[in-house]
Amino acid sequence: MENSLDPRINRLSLIKNDGSFALEKGENWHTYEVFHLKKRGDHHKHVGSLHAPTPEIALVFAKEQFGRRQKCVNLWVVPSREVYTFNMEDEDMFATASSPEKKYRDASGFKVRDKIAEYKKTHAG
Amino acid sequence: MKKKAIKDLIYKMADDELIIGHRNSEWTGLGPIIEEDISFSSMAQDKIGHALALYTILQETFGEPDPDTVAFLRPGKEFKCCHFTEMPNGEYDFSLIRHFLFDHAEKIRYEYLESSSEQNLVNLAKKITGELKYPVLHADTFIHQLGNGSEESHARLQTAINECFDQSLGIFELGEFEQELIDNKVFPGEKALRSRWFEEITPVLEGAKLKLPDIKNEEVGFGGRKGHHTEHLQPLLDEMSEVLTIDPETKW
Amino acid sequence: MYGSSAAFDTPKKGEEIVEDPKKLAIFEARIERGEKIEPNDWMPHEYRRQLIRMIEQHAHSEIIGALPEGTWITRAPGFKRKLALIAKVQDEIGHGHLLYAAAETLGKSREEMINDLINGKSKYSNVFNYPAKTWADVTVIGFLIDAGAIVNQLINATGSYGPYCRALERICYEESFHLKQGHEGFVYLATGTPLQRKMLQDAINRWWEPIMHFFGPPDKISQHTEKLMKWKVKMATNDDMRQKFFDQYIPKVYELGLTIPDPKFKKNDETGKWEYTEPDWDRFFEVINGNGPCNKERLEVRRWAEEHGRWVRNALYDPKYKSVMPLA
Repeated sequence: MENSLDPRINRLSLIKNDGSFALEKGENWHTYEVFHLKKRGDHHKHVGSLHAPTPEIALVFAKEQFGRRQKCVNLWVVPSREVYTFNMEDEDMFATASSPEKKYRDASGFKVRDKIAEYKKTHAG
Repeated sequence: MKKKAIKDLIYKMADDELIIGHRNSEWTGLGPIIEEDISFSSMAQDKIGHALALYTILQETFGEPDPDTVAFLRPGKEFKCCHFTEMPNGEYDFSLIRHFLFDHAEKIRYEYLESSSEQNLVNLAKKITGELKYPVLHADTFIHQLGNGSEESHARLQTAINECFDQSLGIFELGEFEQELIDNKVFPGEKALRSRWFEEITPVLEGAKLKLPDIKNEEVGFGGRKGHHTEHLQPLLDEMSEVLTIDPETKW
Repeated sequence: MYGSSAAFDTPKKGEEIVEDPKKLAIFEARIERGEKIEPNDWMPHEYRRQLIRMIEQHAHSEIIGALPEGTWITRAPGFKRKLALIAKVQDEIGHGHLLYAAAETLGKSREEMINDLINGKSKYSNVFNYPAKTWADVTVIGFLIDAGAIVNQLINATGSYGPYCRALERICYEESFHLKQGHEGFVYLATGTPLQRKMLQDAINRWWEPIMHFFGPPDKISQHTEKLMKWKVKMATNDDMRQKFFDQYIPKVYELGLTIPDPKFKKNDETGKWEYTEPDWDRFFEVINGNGPCNKERLEVRRWAEEHGRWVRNALYDPKYKSVMPLA
């Protein structure tokens, strides 16, 4: 091929693309979900995923892809297949969690100020 | 005299970091998987960053020219890097082995410098203690896993280390002021560094089922500390200065 | 429930997919309300297909985009420019990584995407098929091309697909550094010696056509995008983005006394729109179809990386770990 403008590329020996190249399924290994801890005291937070062959290498990769650009004190990696999840479509299962009928377990569901004021008024003096 | 000795030490450390940092930076976009591109690039940045920190010490405390001038406009024969850092990247196996061997030596060197009599080096060493953990973790993890990986990966690593091990000993070539550095407690010396390095790399290689090669020629990689270099350095230096030399007086 | 596989059937060519109207209505209502679509949600085939195509192209653009600038890492003048450039090129790879992961959640594996890239089946941004001839080109890419990318990405970050939006959020944050470092290098040349100014003006002239091509063909000849806009896959038309880019960045070129190599180029104060000579759109299609100055080299380099890294990947491959799609 012609000389590249890239000296780095000229140091490689490139071969013509003849359409024969193909990665095999699984060649990029499998995915891990990455959880990032910004500072002590916080929860780890899911920040994305990466491909790695083993948990050790997943951590090595996670450190740079998810820890290099923001404050970070710790990371977790978990194989994607080990994460169990609800279906997003079952979102309605959670819908009544904060509905008015469930105020009995919310601080706002308990009001006694009026009662106390009333009591004070009638028992004044 | 002590000043001259310290300057010599800082120059060789900085030049090593600058050159291997450039070599490693060439992997950006070419690594075996994109995750590894990102990791390799970070380590290259850190190396070049250390070089900058060292040249800055030379400028501020030892009256040398500014870091850009020193790093990018100095003649090749004034460079003190070892031959091992100059070698082209070759395949990932060689680059990985070089990174493993060099970075262990680098880490130990800075550990020693944490108790140096030269305060500037103490400060730098303490600042980057944490930063030096990652490249060693990275190298050890890959060496371990590829050494225990396939027949091919094991053979490739063994061949790479067989071929470059003698040359890697050039890292420990004695400088002109070796005894003075030791006497003045600046640095306990290359011999001490080399024996700790052996202690550190041996178990990692064993864990990876790799054999430490027999040394055939101790001094095959020597010369760099005295300004004698392989034919690979000058073309790289020319490349590094290509833009700056269009007009070295102006700002880019 | 175990939800990390998002298998989907690819419709055969010419086959019309009839979507379940009830599901489609729920899907469209969700988007209408401004809610995001997540990987396991039901979605129309066409939505999935277009998103994969778009996110994948975006990912490829980042990975291939790392090459023309990567060229200049060893040559970058001085420590500051050099460290910034390595970090920037590294970010591009990092962006490719995030985007591949977003596309994977839609059911296409990274291996398939890379294969389609190398074999020319999927595209990437045309600008990366041009060479960066001098250092000034690097500053033009770092400033103007990145600025174009930011215009595009900021608007796409408001789209409907959750994983893509999340990836773009981080990408946009990092791109703001890219733009600043590109602009600084650009300004240093513009305010430097006559030779530096000339280098820069020449680079702008060289890059003008690729920049005009950057947002794609004019709306009047580009494909029908109504449905994609309704589904918030496409958030703005090519022409709108181009105008927005001109509005934000052309003044920053003019304030340095630099020129745009198009005598017709000016803002029409009445319409508020920039007027320009249409670039050669045949040339655009020619480059996108593989005949630009650097297409071959770019893909050969990518293939080199994949081939020479194969022994590493194979050595650590363990068939007992079946790969599944990432979660989010």
